[in-house]
Amino acid sequence: MTPLLEVANLNIFFPQHGGPALVPVDDVSFTVSSGELVALVGESGCGKTLTGLALPRLLPRGAEIGAGSAIRFRGTDLTALSEPELRAYRGRRIAMVFQDPMTSLNPVMRVGAQIAEAIHAHRKVSRRDARDRVLALLVEVGIADPELRIDAYPHQLSGGMRQRVLIAMALAAEPDLLVADEPTTALDVTIQAQILELLDHLRTARGLAVLLITHDLGIVAGRADRVLVMYAGRIVESAATAQLFAHPAHPYTRGLFASIPRLNATTTRLTPIGGSVPRPDEWPAGCRFHPRCPVVIPRCRTERPPLEAKGPGQLAACWVTPGAAR
Amino acid sequence: MTAPGRIGLALLLALASFAIVGPMIAASPVAQPDPLNGAFLLPSAAHWLGTDQLSRDIFARLAYGARISLAIAAIAVAVAAMVGSAVGLAAGSSTGLVGRALQRVINLGLALPRIIVLLVVLAAVGRIPPPLLGVLLGLTGWPAVARLVRGETLRLAQAPYVDAAHALGAPPARVLLRDIFPGTLPALLVATTLGVADAILLEAGLSFIGVGVRPPDPSWGSMILEARDHLANAPWLLLAPCVALVLATSAATLLGESLRRSLQPDTR
Repeated sequence: MTPLLEVANLNIFFPQHGGPALVPVDDVSFTVSSGELVALVGESGCGKTLTGLALPRLLPRGAEIGAGSAIRFRGTDLTALSEPELRAYRGRRIAMVFQDPMTSLNPVMRVGAQIAEAIHAHRKVSRRDARDRVLALLVEVGIADPELRIDAYPHQLSGGMRQRVLIAMALAAEPDLLVADEPTTALDVTIQAQILELLDHLRTARGLAVLLITHDLGIVAGRADRVLVMYAGRIVESAATAQLFAHPAHPYTRGLFASIPRLNATTTRLTPIGGSVPRPDEWPAGCRFHPRCPVVIPRCRTERPPLEAKGPGQLAACWVTPGAAR
Repeated sequence: MTAPGRIGLALLLALASFAIVGPMIAASPVAQPDPLNGAFLLPSAAHWLGTDQLSRDIFARLAYGARISLAIAAIAVAVAAMVGSAVGLAAGSSTGLVGRALQRVINLGLALPRIIVLLVVLAAVGRIPPPLLGVLLGLTGWPAVARLVRGETLRLAQAPYVDAAHALGAPPARVLLRDIFPGTLPALLVATTLGVADAILLEAGLSFIGVGVRPPDPSWGSMILEARDHLANAPWLLLAPCVALVLATSAATLLGESLRRSLQPDTR
């Protein structure tokens, strides 16, 4: 089965005046299939948000996609499409949910009208049909009293409800892939769980593929099918969630787990990863994690480790971790 | 709304109703019932504000003058707001050559001294009907509005909800009209209200030097022009249009400043 989305060798760079270009996303490849929830995990500045924005080609001004990169959606390479052609993909096939529900809604438009806009952008429907459709969407994303909320302005809704409205907008044109960039970061913990529940429900109910971009391994645990771990612009590990949690193969992934507080653990101190994420203009040679790696060997400093099989369905880019038996 | 703002709004509404109702109850503004004995009369029951040097009723002239002066100002700000927001939106939203070219056009418009341009044009075209004068004032006033709207457009184009609209596949023109344009309205409303005071003063100034609304048509400015010659013997001729001018411009300024306070709390 061909995957719904196939990202191959994605490079994103910012050309600089009189200097080498910054390459915040470097040679990233992954796939997402229909009905699959894939989590893209990494710290701030690792390139995960840019990767998400690149899918519908919504990169900020100044950023460019490298020549050898391909973003194949159902076999069509989006990097080769023109702006008007891309508009047929944005929202209609690839929808996005942004981090901040407070500012991602137009403050002077009723939420029902905003969702209706998303419908009108892609199909001809009458006003009445659009309203019915909006009501159905509000019900689907779990908003109580949709008849009441449809005419509310964003400031009249709570943060959780606004995020639900944003998800309803994203679903309006019935996309195949939902890219959710830190959808729960701005919300209370209890609301976070509800929103993730909703995303999980939508993918089973609609067969929606979800790419969940997050810095929080904790919210990934129960829901994602697969996890991609990004560090300094590269994917360093990719594995099924259970495998990743049971046997993290990359020292960075292990470091992430060691730095998460657990209720049932006997250790009282957390183990932080020493140092901090390098800036894109200071990325070290070889394995980019080597200056902070507890198990570093000389080869790590000079040669970039390839992604290779480390366990069943598990890939990691590390010279030290033993490979899977072939 | 602040208290001064309410006063300004009330005053503006009062002046507007005066401009509408006044001419209905007043005498003719150009009739000269008794030029020999009826000139320079003091206020009386027959002539509420007295009569001028040609025995015309000053109340009638003030009422018709209000209609003409306020209509010109309203037309002027409406034209300036429409042209200015269209150019400003286009300049703020188009990147590259078009956007830069439009910005140069706006700057050129701002650099031209408005009053000189108006003098030249009015001297060339001669007497024009008051509505056209309003249009002309608007056509010289739009660059200030365009600069403001362009700035607001650039600011709002950065808003996350605009990114979200693009991510939903909305066509750029639709994003501009539905998501960006409404956000520029508060600033536009403030600028337009303050612009009313400017337009009233500008019209009065042009009429005072004789190139705006020309006698015998009454406007507050042309009334001051005609009354000036009789300042020594009949100062009340001057009083009525001057008080009206002060009231109207103060009202528009009070309302505009109050709107700015409530709609743009982050400025000044």
